[in-house]
Amino acid sequence: MTESIINFYELRRKQPRFQGIDAGHRACLGCGEALAARLVLESTGPDVIVANATGCLEVFTTPWPESAWRVPWLHSLFENAAAVAAGIEAALKAQGRQSKVLAFGGDGATFDIGFQALSGMLERGHNVLYVCFDNEAYMNTGIQRSSSTPHAAATTTSPAGKQRMGKRHLKKDIVSIIAAHHIPYAATASVAFPSDLRKKVRRAMAIDGATFLQIHCPCPLGWGHESEESIAVARLAVQTGLFPMIELERGELTGAMPIREQKPVVDYLKPQARFRHLFADDARAREELEHLQALADHNIEIYKLLGSGVDALDSEGADTVRRGGNRWG
Amino acid sequence: MSDVKYTRGGCARPATSLQFHTGSWRVQRPVHRHGAAPCHVACPAGENPQAYLARIEEGDEQAAWRELVTINPLPAITGRVCPHFCESACNRATYDSAISIHGVERYLGDKALAHDWHYAVPARAVGAARVAIVGAGPAGLAAAYHLTLLGYQAVMFEANPEPGGTLRGAIPEYRLPRGVLQVEMQRVLDIGIEFRANTRLGRDVSLEELRQSHAAVFLGPGTQRARYWHVDGIVQRDLHQALDLLKAWNTVGKLSMPASVAVVGAGNTALDTARILRRAGVASVHLVAHKALPEQAASGDDVMPVHPREIAQALEEGVQIHPHRGIRRLLLRGERVVGVEMVHMKKLRGADGVYARVAFEGTETVLHVEQVIPAIGQTVDGVGFDALVADNGFVSVNAQGAVTAGYQGVFAGGDAIGKGGTVTRAIGDGRRAAAAIHGFLQGREWAASVLAPVTFAQLNVNYFEPAPRPEDPVLALKKRIGEKEVVGGIEQQAVLQEAQRCFSCGNCFACDNCWTLCPDTAVLKTQELAADGAHYVFDYDYCKGCGICAQECPCGFIAMEAEL
Repeated sequence: MTESIINFYELRRKQPRFQGIDAGHRACLGCGEALAARLVLESTGPDVIVANATGCLEVFTTPWPESAWRVPWLHSLFENAAAVAAGIEAALKAQGRQSKVLAFGGDGATFDIGFQALSGMLERGHNVLYVCFDNEAYMNTGIQRSSSTPHAAATTTSPAGKQRMGKRHLKKDIVSIIAAHHIPYAATASVAFPSDLRKKVRRAMAIDGATFLQIHCPCPLGWGHESEESIAVARLAVQTGLFPMIELERGELTGAMPIREQKPVVDYLKPQARFRHLFADDARAREELEHLQALADHNIEIYKLLGSGVDALDSEGADTVRRGGNRWG
Repeated sequence: MSDVKYTRGGCARPATSLQFHTGSWRVQRPVHRHGAAPCHVACPAGENPQAYLARIEEGDEQAAWRELVTINPLPAITGRVCPHFCESACNRATYDSAISIHGVERYLGDKALAHDWHYAVPARAVGAARVAIVGAGPAGLAAAYHLTLLGYQAVMFEANPEPGGTLRGAIPEYRLPRGVLQVEMQRVLDIGIEFRANTRLGRDVSLEELRQSHAAVFLGPGTQRARYWHVDGIVQRDLHQALDLLKAWNTVGKLSMPASVAVVGAGNTALDTARILRRAGVASVHLVAHKALPEQAASGDDVMPVHPREIAQALEEGVQIHPHRGIRRLLLRGERVVGVEMVHMKKLRGADGVYARVAFEGTETVLHVEQVIPAIGQTVDGVGFDALVADNGFVSVNAQGAVTAGYQGVFAGGDAIGKGGTVTRAIGDGRRAAAAIHGFLQGREWAASVLAPVTFAQLNVNYFEPAPRPEDPVLALKKRIGEKEVVGGIEQQAVLQEAQRCFSCGNCFACDNCWTLCPDTAVLKTQELAADGAHYVFDYDYCKGCGICAQECPCGFIAMEAEL
């Protein structure tokens, strides 16, 4: 059978998975966030309602009058996704209905603008899974720094130049702040490790209460790497220790994905234009490279990321491929 | 009902974004591209281990064997005696350790013998053309097998009473048990090949007779004439050739030799001779090799063309190997050997750019031995087809295996064409000659396809787990007596693990990576509708050409093509 006579519409409908975001969305080539959102909904299934904050995800999925979503979905404002989700959850509860409510936001909506509403939702203990798609800057409005932007990364509002080597401040440790609300489950995940990501979504969904997931998703445009490298770059963020993959339950560390072989941070930084200035012949650049390496080493140290114990390689979390694709469990 | 609207806003139906075809943004498109696995490219017989490992992983061992014997009808034999070029080429060797392909091949071969699996041979048409095959060694058997599969009547002429050639004469039983050899060869002959035993070309039948009564002739006579060996023109009176000793050992099982012997040579025949001498009770066996031991070789060195495992076993068994040594002088008392003078030698490039062996003065040592056995190679014994043997002692053929001496319809292969003497190479020669004969008889040119192997860099090994390679069980030194097979095979569990360790270079193995990681849901899963052996199709209406699927494909099966 040749491809020209394949009924793609039929085939798409018959895919053996739930595609909560379908094709035709306007995300850039190699968008990590579009992938992450689809992976999340694959694990939640269709019985959810999504409240989405302003941001790339909201814009590229809903170019009026179209929508890429296959679940009930609502956008209100930048700052109130958690509050809207809390309201939906309360309304469902009043009606005696069971649907899980999700809140989606980027790092801007989570770390900065919507933080107050998020904190309130967590404090009130709503049955909501809040997912933060962390691409480390305000990409939708043209790559402005957020409190999630990593140290030394260049954005349009933290440019590298004579005065500074990119962002002077550190990336906010949001997951610890969230965990300090004493919620049952808060975790970090990465699009480069879909098995682990889905496992964490399933864990969060099984809990009745406020849960939180931070997903590291590369932005080829804002980070300045090739579109095909999105997964490779995200993988390196984990393998260098710059993005630790951890689970916190009631504030306690209950899981950390071990690093099989620690890669130097330059492996992660090199492909990204936002760190290009760190490879100039400049004493400040050399210092910042060392600084970033120290931050990675610090993560490895505090979360004990160099594996040990019976399953030092964390075979469960690893994305090992098998013939027939049955690796996702 | 009031028509006052309290909120402003819009709404949309689910998945209406499908109306917008983001495929129009694309400047490059992903395509499925089959690549040749390096094991396949490296195999002199032309086997495709990737393909049969895949069948094993799918749980169908018989299908795996069928895949294997479409190329090589003698896997139980080659699984034992081949130095496995496939494993040297295996991409997994760069990652942790090569797949034990020879172990899998041997397992499948033995399983087929134990379960009496049969080749799938199409029914032959009445009056099928007859093709003569001279020599029932590996080349001849492979040619006869493939010609039969192609619908011809193969007629084999063998000078000895039994088939086997080199397999029977030169390979000792501890490497290749006679039971395996016998049954696997008989299974080939049983597919309808006419076998004429005790019929020697040049004595019982002439080449011209064969050419007249057959549509084509394949010559696989092997190399039966030992190279003339002497030291400065001097030869001891009781000179024995290594190949004769091997034949005697393989048929009689006894050798009469003095207590100390030196074997001269660096190949399999030399090493096997040294090892049977130990088994025959010779106390002191020396191997004087003009080449390097594999593990000590510097790059560019010429290395002994034998498997390192065989060398290790020979050393264990007490063979003393003297690498990079040549014999300068025979120490004779009368015409009897009392020792040899050895000297350090190396192959060096001279001022004219030509490599030559250089002996280093002042490095001479004397080895006290009572016999010297040359094993420095053989050439073709051209009785009955002298005109085809070139000055170098081999039959000269073109790329199709046709003899270049002007005899139309005569093809040759195996050791006789002097292109590296391995059983596997001979089997490949036989198969290629069969295809060339088929082409010749149909009046069209046949050319072997040349494939570029998938490189390690084309794979994405982040998706594989490190896993150990199973080692073959080796008979304890004390038990290595007589004919007992030294190296054992691997078990079913290990075979399955090897199949799972295979990187599946250049071939989709349905891991779901592209399907999972496409941000645009432009990869759709379907086995039925994928025409190219993949399990997925690209929906180019939506594919933006980001390249993630190609980058993350573990097997190197997806390539990006420019579209502008």
